[in-house]
Amino acid sequence: MTPDILLLCLASQLCLVTGQLLLKHAMTQTNLTPIPWWQVGKLFSLGIVILSGWFFLWGGLLQRKDLSYIYPFEGMGPALMLLGAWLFLKEKLTLQSCIGIGLISVGIAIVATS
Amino acid sequence: MSTNHNNIEGGEPSPAALGGRRPRLHPYLQIIMAAFCVTAAELLFKRGAMATAHDPAPLGIIGLSVLGSMWTWCGIAVYIASFLFWLNVLRRVPLHIAFSIMSVTQVLVPLGAWWFGNEHISPCRWVGVFIVLAGIFVVAGPAMKAEEQL
Repeated sequence: MTPDILLLCLASQLCLVTGQLLLKHAMTQTNLTPIPWWQVGKLFSLGIVILSGWFFLWGGLLQRKDLSYIYPFEGMGPALMLLGAWLFLKEKLTLQSCIGIGLISVGIAIVATS
Repeated sequence: MSTNHNNIEGGEPSPAALGGRRPRLHPYLQIIMAAFCVTAAELLFKRGAMATAHDPAPLGIIGLSVLGSMWTWCGIAVYIASFLFWLNVLRRVPLHIAFSIMSVTQVLVPLGAWWFGNEHISPCRWVGVFIVLAGIFVVAGPAMKAEEQL
């Protein structure tokens, strides 16, 4: 795996996780009464813009590599999501979560070098 | 990003918190439907990307030329269906649980690529895919337990 492909995979995953965090926050706001539409709209729009960045980066990767080769990099998503939840939502990381993230990293390394 | 009206450790908002509104489809069924839509969309995107692989790329590394294929547009339509399911899921299910369950696509997509796209997947690569999947289940485990306790 070349460094540019690795960087593109990382950038696409960062866009995916950031966009999903924003969408989750926006959709959670729709459970409130009254619904704060202005805030929902802002978060939702920003989430969509960032997810669009993920889409085009992903399209560029698909043109260069087999789907089955790059798709396991999506496995970084839950790990980055947990990190994002820890940083932005102040969720607590458990030992089990860290072990899981370690397994994901090993799996990715195997896929990348196979 | 500091406010979260769900129970962060895994709880869904109660029907009362939702103003008595109930989803038409169970949220976890919607996650599975979203996963199948994502799998179909990824396979369509790959087909679109291969159809346009030799087209000149307007912005270099960014894959804008994939939009020149009808397969890509079909993929976008299926992805939008998946997205609508996903938005409903996000209203009810904590993000880390939903995202972890969606990781079933880690198995579905390589299976689809092998079945429909004739892509070769080496045994070593399969091992890596399943280790990634095992890790995802370990990460999702504590949240799932918290969900069951509520």
